[in-house]
Amino acid sequence: MADQPDGIVLRRHRDLEGRFWGPWLRRALLALVALVAVLALVGVFGQPPSTTSAEAAPARMAISAPGAVRGGLLYQARFEIRANDALNDATLVLNPAWLDGMTVNTIEPSPVSQASRNGNLALSLGHLPAGARYVLFMEFQVNPTTVGSRTLRAELDDGEQPVLTISRRLRIFP
Amino acid sequence: MDIVVRAAFAFAFVFFLTRIVGRRELSSLEPFDLIMLIVLGDLVQQGVTQSDYSVTGLVLAAGTIALLQVAVSYLNYRFRRVRQVLAGEPIVLIEDGRVLEANLARERLTRGELEEGARQSQLDSLEKVRWAVLESSGQISFIPKQ
Repeated sequence: MADQPDGIVLRRHRDLEGRFWGPWLRRALLALVALVAVLALVGVFGQPPSTTSAEAAPARMAISAPGAVRGGLLYQARFEIRANDALNDATLVLNPAWLDGMTVNTIEPSPVSQASRNGNLALSLGHLPAGARYVLFMEFQVNPTTVGSRTLRAELDDGEQPVLTISRRLRIFP
Repeated sequence: MDIVVRAAFAFAFVFFLTRIVGRRELSSLEPFDLIMLIVLGDLVQQGVTQSDYSVTGLVLAAGTIALLQVAVSYLNYRFRRVRQVLAGEPIVLIEDGRVLEANLARERLTRGELEEGARQSQLDSLEKVRWAVLESSGQISFIPKQ
């Protein structure tokens, strides 16, 4: 047998004593990386949209938006309102969680007016006759420093009178 | 500032990736590997600085990464057991002309790659190798028989 080079310990570097676990640990950690990729493929880290809806006698509303987003990404929230009865002053009231740490790029169609209502954003949509369908698009961008989980609430009012409310969770990954 | 946290996370994650991917994959820079390296660098940069174009951001991110690099280097120097984890250990691949197949398989190395390495070291046959050692850097050291 040849004398080993300096720094080589045959039991450890040739016979790999005490190093049996090495490849298995490496495989386990690689599996962990693969698991993260698989979770991303099924949408855990954003941002496939999901739809939440609520119905009351005067109207029905559905919100389609992602349940998870990541810092810096653009996303869309789509509000669809169907008026069963006429709504004289349809107003969409969004709690601050919709806007905190977000950039609102655009709201289409532009609401008749915007106002703060007890700290919430009230978007006045105008008169909706019975049977009308109104679709509002809001385009957001997540500010890069925003992270965490929050509850988004959207209330449809007729004037000051609440008609229905939808609550959703939004997770924001760094 | 969160840019320091992001830079530290990026450093730790890239370090973690390089340790689990395997040393041979990272030691050879084929054209494809070089392109992937550049792409990886770009992806990491976006995650670290995001939309921060300031010189302050540059100083914070680059400074954090430099400090962590020095810290890892110091740990490697100071503690042998930490060095085994952070830098890895050499593995003997050939002893006295005999290829240690189990050790090759452990590192996902083929006999052909070993022969290629030997040729690059001006050795035309593995039988002329006294020792071949896969170093923690991913390079293979060949020590010829006398």
